[in-house]
Amino acid sequence: MAEIKIKVTGLKKSFGANEVLKGIDLEVAQGEVMCIIGPSGSGKSTLLRCLNRLEEVTSGEILVDGESITAPGADVDSIRQHMGMVFQQFNLFPHMSVLENLTWAPVQLKLKTPDEAKAKAMQLLDRVGLAEKADAMPRSLSGGQQQRVAIARALCMDPDIMLFDEPTSALDPEMVCEVLDVMRELAAEGMTMVCVTHEMGFAHDVADRVVFVDGGVICEQGTPAEVLDHPQNERTKSFLSKVL
Amino acid sequence: MGLAELAQTFDEAWPLLLGGLQMTTFVTVLSLFLALFLGIFTCLMNMSKFAPLRGIAKFYIWIIRGTPMLVQGFYVYFALPQLIQLVTGTNFRIDVVTATVFTMTLNAGAYMSEIFRGSIQSVDKGQMEAARSLGVGYAPSMAKIIIPQAIRICLPSLVNQVIITLKDSTIMYAIGLPEIMNQAKVYVGRTFNSFSTYTLVALIFLLVTSLLMVASSALEKRIRK
Repeated sequence: MAEIKIKVTGLKKSFGANEVLKGIDLEVAQGEVMCIIGPSGSGKSTLLRCLNRLEEVTSGEILVDGESITAPGADVDSIRQHMGMVFQQFNLFPHMSVLENLTWAPVQLKLKTPDEAKAKAMQLLDRVGLAEKADAMPRSLSGGQQQRVAIARALCMDPDIMLFDEPTSALDPEMVCEVLDVMRELAAEGMTMVCVTHEMGFAHDVADRVVFVDGGVICEQGTPAEVLDHPQNERTKSFLSKVL
Repeated sequence: MGLAELAQTFDEAWPLLLGGLQMTTFVTVLSLFLALFLGIFTCLMNMSKFAPLRGIAKFYIWIIRGTPMLVQGFYVYFALPQLIQLVTGTNFRIDVVTATVFTMTLNAGAYMSEIFRGSIQSVDKGQMEAARSLGVGYAPSMAKIIIPQAIRICLPSLVNQVIITLKDSTIMYAIGLPEIMNQAKVYVGRTFNSFSTYTLVALIFLLVTSLLMVASSALEKRIRK
């Protein structure tokens, strides 16, 4: 059994009177690619955002590398530094060039010298096929390019976990591929990944485990073959019949 | 009224009005400079996690927004000194320029703090989340990611506030500040050349505000790039 990177126990999250997560237990192993699927409003994005405490949990505990991120005095920043996140809306910094988007955090946090950060950033931009855009401003890039920059920005912190919050949902169809290809490569290299996604093809091909969330609980989880091809749960079946 | 009157006014009133304009510019620039810091400070208080600080900021903004600047000027120049005299038993006095700068700073500071708050809050929430998700703390994220974007957003409103404060400085005529309107009134009182004098006053304001507007749209264009 590989080392456990993320361990979620009894996670509950309410927004006011609305209980979005109703007790989630989940473990993500080192190198595992987990895809979280489910209908909109099921709580899957909230679950992901709790993992790096962008949402405060109502109750329950989340351990990252054995360290609690939900404890009151937790050093959230230091945990986030090795836990990259990619957003649906890219959220690139519009006032900085592509290169500065990548180098800002590691330099700001004094994890890298400006020269080291730049070298690392150029290597990552080259990897996502955007080396020639290093000096461009984010607004001049297409959605797919922006999202690839956002992935590179997260990778520039040398994370060992990557969280993806519907990374292709805001993209035009012809740009989905280029982003998924980058994620595929990342998975192949052994990155621990948790992806909230609507891309069933990607989940099927790349995921080690698929988790189906509906109504704030995990209804079903297993290998892509189990969950996507032979779902047991009625809600999973009904959801898949609508999206496949 | 004829060309002769116009020429006479131009000759005689111009130096007076220019002197007034100097005073107008002086109190406006100084007040706006001080209001910038007061506005930033108030904005920080208003966005603080500590409720009493927010309360003080909101109370101050409420007073300023809810009362006319004319009343504020009278309050600072006449009412406050009397209160201080009563409380301390001294013969406390405040000169009219100080009272003006104090009033205009308080006034513009409140509006500026609201402009700053609005600008910061209109930066996309995803920006702070992206910065924080990289493991950067709140303060550096604010300083390097949110504030630079908020400054771009607030510039047009800030220039607008500069124009408002410049024009509103004429209100201080009422407490006897020798600004441009006061000089005009004195000259008209002596010569009854109302039309030509007040036309000149209006033109001077139009000229100065037009320059500000041109400068601000040039600035906006540069930022948009």
